[in-house]
Amino acid sequence: MAHHPCAIVGIGQTHHKSRRWDVSVAGLVREAALRAMEDAQMTWRDIDAVVIGKAPDLFEGVMKPELYLTDALGAAGKPMFRVHTAGSVGGTTGIVAAHHVETGRHKTVLAVGYQKQSEGNAQFALGSGRGASLGAGGAFAPYIRAYIHRSKAPMDIGPMVAVKDRLNALKNPYAHLKIEDISLEKVKASPMLWEPLRYLESCPSSDGACAVVFTDEAGGKAAAADGRKPAWVLGSAVRSEPMRFPGRDPVRPQGAVDCAADIYKQAGITRPREQVDCAELYVPFSWYEPIWLEAHGFAEIGEGWKMVEDGTTSLSGSFPVNMSGGVLSSNPIGASGLLRFSEAALQVRGMAGEHQVDGAKVAVAQAYGAGNQYFSMWVVGSSLDPFGK
Amino acid sequence: MSGVVESTIQFPYKRSLGPVMSAFMTGLRDARLLGIRNGDSVLCPPLEWDPATGESLPNDLVEVGPAGTVQTWTWIAQPTKMHPLDHGFAFALIKLDGADTPIVHAVDAGSIDKMATGMRVAPRWRAERKGHITDIEAFVPGEAAQGASAAPAEGTAAEPVTMMDYHASITYKTPITANQLRTEQANKEGRFLGLRCPACNRTYTGDRGYCPVDATALGQEHEVDLPQTGVLSNYTIITPIQYPGQTETEPFSRIHVTLDGIDVVLGFQSLIDVPVADVRIGMRVAAVWASDAEYVDPDPRWEGRLIGWMPTGEPDVNDPDLVNRMP
Amino acid sequence: MAAANAANAAPGANPDDIAIIGWSISPMVRRTDKTEAQMLLEVITGAVEDAGITRAEIDFTCAGSCDYVAGQAFSFVQNIDALGAWPPKRDSHVEMDGAWALYEAYLRLLIGDIDTACVMGSGRSSTADPALIYPMEMDPFYLAPLGVDAASFAAMQARALIDAGKVTERQMAEVAARCRRAAVGNPHAQVAGEFDVDTLLAEDYVRSPLRRHDLPPITDGAVAMVIARADKAKELCEHPIWITGFAHYAESHYVGTRDLRVSRSTELAAKAAGIEAGPIEVAEIQAAFTHEEPLLTEALGLGADTIVNPSGGPLAANPIMATGLVRIAEAAGQIRSNGKRRTLGHSTSGPCLQQNLVCILEASN
Repeated sequence: MAHHPCAIVGIGQTHHKSRRWDVSVAGLVREAALRAMEDAQMTWRDIDAVVIGKAPDLFEGVMKPELYLTDALGAAGKPMFRVHTAGSVGGTTGIVAAHHVETGRHKTVLAVGYQKQSEGNAQFALGSGRGASLGAGGAFAPYIRAYIHRSKAPMDIGPMVAVKDRLNALKNPYAHLKIEDISLEKVKASPMLWEPLRYLESCPSSDGACAVVFTDEAGGKAAAADGRKPAWVLGSAVRSEPMRFPGRDPVRPQGAVDCAADIYKQAGITRPREQVDCAELYVPFSWYEPIWLEAHGFAEIGEGWKMVEDGTTSLSGSFPVNMSGGVLSSNPIGASGLLRFSEAALQVRGMAGEHQVDGAKVAVAQAYGAGNQYFSMWVVGSSLDPFGK
Repeated sequence: MSGVVESTIQFPYKRSLGPVMSAFMTGLRDARLLGIRNGDSVLCPPLEWDPATGESLPNDLVEVGPAGTVQTWTWIAQPTKMHPLDHGFAFALIKLDGADTPIVHAVDAGSIDKMATGMRVAPRWRAERKGHITDIEAFVPGEAAQGASAAPAEGTAAEPVTMMDYHASITYKTPITANQLRTEQANKEGRFLGLRCPACNRTYTGDRGYCPVDATALGQEHEVDLPQTGVLSNYTIITPIQYPGQTETEPFSRIHVTLDGIDVVLGFQSLIDVPVADVRIGMRVAAVWASDAEYVDPDPRWEGRLIGWMPTGEPDVNDPDLVNRMP
Repeated sequence: MAAANAANAAPGANPDDIAIIGWSISPMVRRTDKTEAQMLLEVITGAVEDAGITRAEIDFTCAGSCDYVAGQAFSFVQNIDALGAWPPKRDSHVEMDGAWALYEAYLRLLIGDIDTACVMGSGRSSTADPALIYPMEMDPFYLAPLGVDAASFAAMQARALIDAGKVTERQMAEVAARCRRAAVGNPHAQVAGEFDVDTLLAEDYVRSPLRRHDLPPITDGAVAMVIARADKAKELCEHPIWITGFAHYAESHYVGTRDLRVSRSTELAAKAAGIEAGPIEVAEIQAAFTHEEPLLTEALGLGADTIVNPSGGPLAANPIMATGLVRIAEAAGQIRSNGKRRTLGHSTSGPCLQQNLVCILEASN
């Protein structure tokens, strides 16, 4: 086995906005990368390889942008790798970068996810330029209707998630949406875009980037000795499944269930609700919070919404979810997964600022993409042995 | 059997430039060429970072050119619609005087015989400049810039250029598979074609080429006719967001139809003559096809000859599991 | 840093050694009537059958393809249907040539918890004009708006080599003629046959100094390959083909900042892959333009003893996004079928060979 421990020692992100017209695509990506390296107290010289993740190239109209971004990411003379697994891509990018280190072949790797949606138009790109595009929400709305029917959840659950995540975003200096007067009434009064999904229950379209520095056990321990807490990757997994076939359950996708089981096994987690301190899940539409709470074993089937209703998943609850404000507050698609993964790492490093969960030692992050088909997930810890195995 | 479907992906991208490219593009608008200092050398076109190391460069811009030397080149006898000139020209790496790295641009030399490595060229400026790499129409042989004098005097300069437009347009000709063609033909005849997997017995719409579960190729021998009636099992109502190419303006429904007596769900279908407020799960619906008089081939309004689905007027189906039936 | 396996150990002795145990290459055609998923369906079936296993026994899949080649956002999502990914599979996708999908799968197997992977590359370059698509992969501010495509960059590099006295147009035509002669008998070649060099040189330039024969054909095609960790490889396969060195490097996107007469990232990749540990008998390199062959063979340090592109290489068939992985498959084929002991597959991406990958293969002892 060539499985070497992998530490996260640097995290950086941009201020996410609908239009970052102050920077170019490369400038945006560098902003996140430079912050991550500053956090890691490293320079470009310390980086051995770069992994870039982003969603469709049509969004910005730059094909294989890892080519153009090689120089901006200090990757001339280094390996440069590009991942694209739809909405899960940011998560997969983090996992692929971690694998670079876990194999022992690379010491320090920079992962970068980004999207500059303002250069183009996501709605256009999702439909590849054709009319009557469903948009992401249109494709997911029937799944959400099915979840509501099955779980018999009150209709307020979706809006409650939308409020909670936007309240969390007010504590996150990098979040895109800052809705000071967010309230249940305000969410419910917002336009119904993709019935049953309202405007304020949907993610924004953002420009933004996220970068993470991964290093080996020696590097992680050196950072710790220097008083800079690393996060350790305790388990990671990806799964994919076909979109359409009779017998598939797109509401509780098997790939999501399998991903969770896989990372729990790797990390030695048997009771996720008790052993995990918080989770940062990919919730671009409000109802995905209870959907994923159930798929990931944090709640029994049909019960996930109760954790929303009773405040368990709020920042002050016993199992906070989407402390950063989540995808509902910032959605640079290609970076969104890596932002989730980074938030989990920030939490166990105790560096999440105002949205810190007190004493978080183990955190889960997840991302998904396409028609609920691509899943990436990891669990990170403040130590390599958080459960005292 | 074969055929192609043609589609054009085109979009007017709007790019922000950031500080260094903004200065460079503003310079182009003012008919000046700028490079950036990178230690002892000058990089043109300028970048915000050292291409060798990624280190940020101080924003120290210097004027270069306008003339320069061709380092290498290629002759394009037949330009594409994306090229800056509509007649034969060269692309070249041009090291501008005062710069240490070359810029890529067009050289309008008239003929390939006029091109040579080491030749001297200077920009021919466009009369209408907007801060875009094509503000230089092309470089031309010689030492003197053409088409514009140097920058306007201080104080007369307009706002700095911070954005640029980029229009991409690529036409794709995608082959239509034999299964897709037969499905289309059936559609023209007012039929839905299905394919049944011999391994698992699951049924798919006829345009699929394979069973995704068994990864089994499906073809004509696996075809079945699908029913034309079914139940509305799930839906969404979409408030259209405007984007280039959008064809809708009012909220519209898209429904999932679970066909009668078979495990096939047609996703995101059009429901006809039902106000969005009246769309409900359990509604019995039937396919509606264009009449010979209505039908033109190909018809951009519909999916082939299928106009959509209409209520049959039968009582609703009351099955709590219906909502879970999705394509 | 990326390192070659210990030079002394016999390949396969270490449980972390990874081997190629099966592959399949689709017909290479000017225009297919199949979808990418259908092409992949066939080559995956071919590859797993060649490896003597089933799709269900594949632990990890990774595909390389490109939305701008397919002309659709998220185009790869449909291709997942070819995997038989039910129950769900560990799976990834790179917007790169399938050779990089192999690199990701190689790293994934090195982790040690799973044993087998299937990697793919696929593309239908026939669907649109490459001269319109490839400017899209250039710097979006300074280059793409000029419509500078990959062939124009290649041509400027060719002239730089000619000006430096490193190659002549006649030598380039000879490369084309040799590759297409070699392709005769290759069932996966699209352009093959006898070509007279003087006749070729009489043709007009497409992008001077490149003539039609200096450019690759436009090809639709796909490839799939199965790899396994040592114990599994030896269990499934009598003669696994071992990946004993594997590395890739990038260099500046801005060709003007590079010395176009050399390929530094190829040199770096070859060194990191441990090419110097022994002779390379056959090299399958992604020299899509004729002048790239001498440039790359020099960067790889190959001598006259090395046979280059006996398949005909990309000049015989160039399925974009699969071309590099096809090279590695062809290099493996030289060990399996032609008794070679040590071969090499190479892939590249970007203007003037911006990014290069080297995969060294060795026979079982």
